[in-house]
Parts: sequence; structure tokens; C-alpha cells
Amino acid sequence: MRVRGRDLETIISYILTIGVLVSLAVEGVGLGYYATTESLQVDFTSRWQTSGNDFFAYAWGTLLSLGEGATPLSLIALGIVLLMVTPYLRVLASVVYFTVERNPKYALISLFVLSVLTISLKAH
Amino acid sequence: MVDVITVLLLSILAGLLGSLVGLGGSLITTPALVALGVPVKYAIAAGMVTIIATSSGSASSYVREKIVNVKAAMFLEMFTIVGAIAGASVTSIVPAKLLYFFFAAFLLTSFVGIGRRGREEVPQAVNQDGLARWLQLEGSYHDKSLGKDVNYKLTRPALGGAGMFVAGIAAGMLGIGAGAFKVSIHELILKMPSKVSTTTSSFIIGMTALAGASVYIFSGLLYLDLAAPMMIGTTLGAFLGGRSLNRIRSSTLHRLFLVVVLLVMVEMLYKGVTA
Repeated sequence: MRVRGRDLETIISYILTIGVLVSLAVEGVGLGYYATTESLQVDFTSRWQTSGNDFFAYAWGTLLSLGEGATPLSLIALGIVLLMVTPYLRVLASVVYFTVERNPKYALISLFVLSVLTISLKAH
Repeated sequence: MVDVITVLLLSILAGLLGSLVGLGGSLITTPALVALGVPVKYAIAAGMVTIIATSSGSASSYVREKIVNVKAAMFLEMFTIVGAIAGASVTSIVPAKLLYFFFAAFLLTSFVGIGRRGREEVPQAVNQDGLARWLQLEGSYHDKSLGKDVNYKLTRPALGGAGMFVAGIAAGMLGIGAGAFKVSIHELILKMPSKVSTTTSSFIIGMTALAGASVYIFSGLLYLDLAAPMMIGTTLGAFLGGRSLNRIRSSTLHRLFLVVVLLVMVEMLYKGVTA
């Protein structure tokens, strides 16, 4: 399966590798920052609880809060957002790929997966 | 209650042990955290997010090597993500006591992996049904251990999809990958070659985990200060475990697997009874 010199497997592999490494790195920096500034007790207080009911709004809010200055919480939240975006981008790439490749069956199958994920991420 | 360093170290150990004995993701980390006093639903939610990292990380190189069957994965993901969303929604509302028993019961399916060993590497003379042909469910990959390119065909995708829906429910409910279960469906129903089956399962698990996590992230069960060290620790442990796998004898691993699964089952049953 190739589109413009790149095959789907290579594109997906890049997305997964970069997504996981970047999110782990951000999470690591966030945890390191946390370790230098606060008590490290996992006490299940509400500020560490993810809030809202729309992932995309939460992701945008996380980016905006980083714009006002990085905190351990905003960095760790960003790491989780990047991690969750990684498989989402993988499906999005599949939809585009199969559409460009004119494979309607798999374009629709990947579009179904993308739609279910989008609805679940927006509606909970 | 636990601190971040304890969660990190415990997750490294659980990730290491899990990858050595063939239990991925959170099947060990979640019970270990529960043993330290973390509420089971919080451990399950953090485990679900953790699995996105461990499975996506391990699948990426197999995708590049074209061992993963991306088309079969996309088809099966339609079923497994719907199951995962349903399963995670159930966990959000059922009493925690029930989850201990479900967890212990599900551990039994990991024994299926033992029965799998020794079966033929590549199923021969697979007769594709009409749907499998229509879905173009076939592929080829280069098998380094056999030293040749392997061509294969898959069959019975509708039944496989139904099985993956059930696997998705279990994964979403318990915050695990349900890898052994998925691999069994791939091999027994779809007739996937062994290497394609395990790697495609890792690939699918990342998507199942995202579907489950989409419920947990706003159910009030996901705590970032628990999820972050768990995610880093388990991924690091699994990476270290993967590197040392070839240096340990398989009979030792087999015994270790039995001990680990039995210990975790007993712990979850004990928690369920005393909760």
C-alpha cells in the first residue's frame, strides 16, 4: 500500500513512535518538575482529576494553560493529551490514506472507527 | 496512601515482570496498586491510559516491518472499540466489589496462551469465506526465524469481530489490554499466523485503550498523578523486560508466569471477598 512514495505502515509507525516518545518525555519533565516543587503523595485530590466532558476542549484548555506558564499539572496533563491523540491521529491518517488510495471499503471502515472515537471523546 | 516514587518503581517492576511472562499492560500493575491501597477503579482508569503507551510503543516497529496486518486490525477495531466504550461505562457505575471478581475470572483467559504454544506457526490451506475475500484479508511478511516470506489468508471475520467485541468489553471494564484473549481469537477463528496475531493484537490494543480511556478521562476516575508515573514506569519496565527476554530460559519463564497469575488471582479474590 503506497501513496506518494510512502506506505501506510511507515506513516503509522512514525505517528506511533513520535507520539509515544514525545508524550513520555513531556510526562517525565512534568513529573521531574513536580518532584522539585511539591510533596509527592498521590492523595487523589480533585486538582489531579481530569475534568470537563469534552476531550478536545480539555486538550485546548491544557494548551492555553501552558501559554500562561508551565506547571507540573499542566505538563502532566499535556503528556496525557499527547498520548491520547497518538492513536487518534493514527486512525485519521488511515482515513486520509485509504481515501487517497481510492479504497472506499477501508476508507469507510476507518471513518467508522474515527467517528465512534470522536463521539466518545466529545460526549463523555 | 502511595507516593509517586512508589508507583513509579512498582510500575517498572510490574512492566518488567509482565513483559517477561507475556502479560502486558496493566494486568500486574493494577492488582499491585490495589494491594498498596489504591481504589480499584482509580487503578483501572490509570491502567487504561498506560496501555496506550505500552502497546503503541511496542507495535510501532512491527508496523514498519509490515508484520502487523493493518487492514484486519482496522476491521476488528470497529468491534473492539465499541466493546471497550461499553465496558468502561459499566465500570463507572458498578460496585467496586464486582470488579475484583471479574478481574480474577479474566486472569483465567491468560492461561489460554499456554495452550497456544507449540501450535503451527502458519496455518496451512485456509479456505477464505466470502466476507474475508471481500475485505481483502490476506497478507505477507518476512519471517526471520523461518528465513522466508510468508503468504497467508484470513477467514471468518464476522465471527472474529463478535469475539473482539467481547474482548473489548473485558478490556474496557478492567483497564487491561486483553491481549491473550485477542490473540486466541486471531489464531483460532481468523487463522492468523502466530507472529501476525501477536503484533496485530498489540496494535489493536492501543486503539481499544483509547476508546476505554475516552470514558475514564471524564468519569471522575482518572487521576493524573497516578497515571503519569504508572505510564512511564510500565513502559520503561516493559522495554527493559523485552531486552532481557532472550537471556532467561523458557521453563523458568513458564513457572514464573504460573506463580504471577496465581498470586494476582488470589489477591483479587481475597479483595473481592473482604471488600
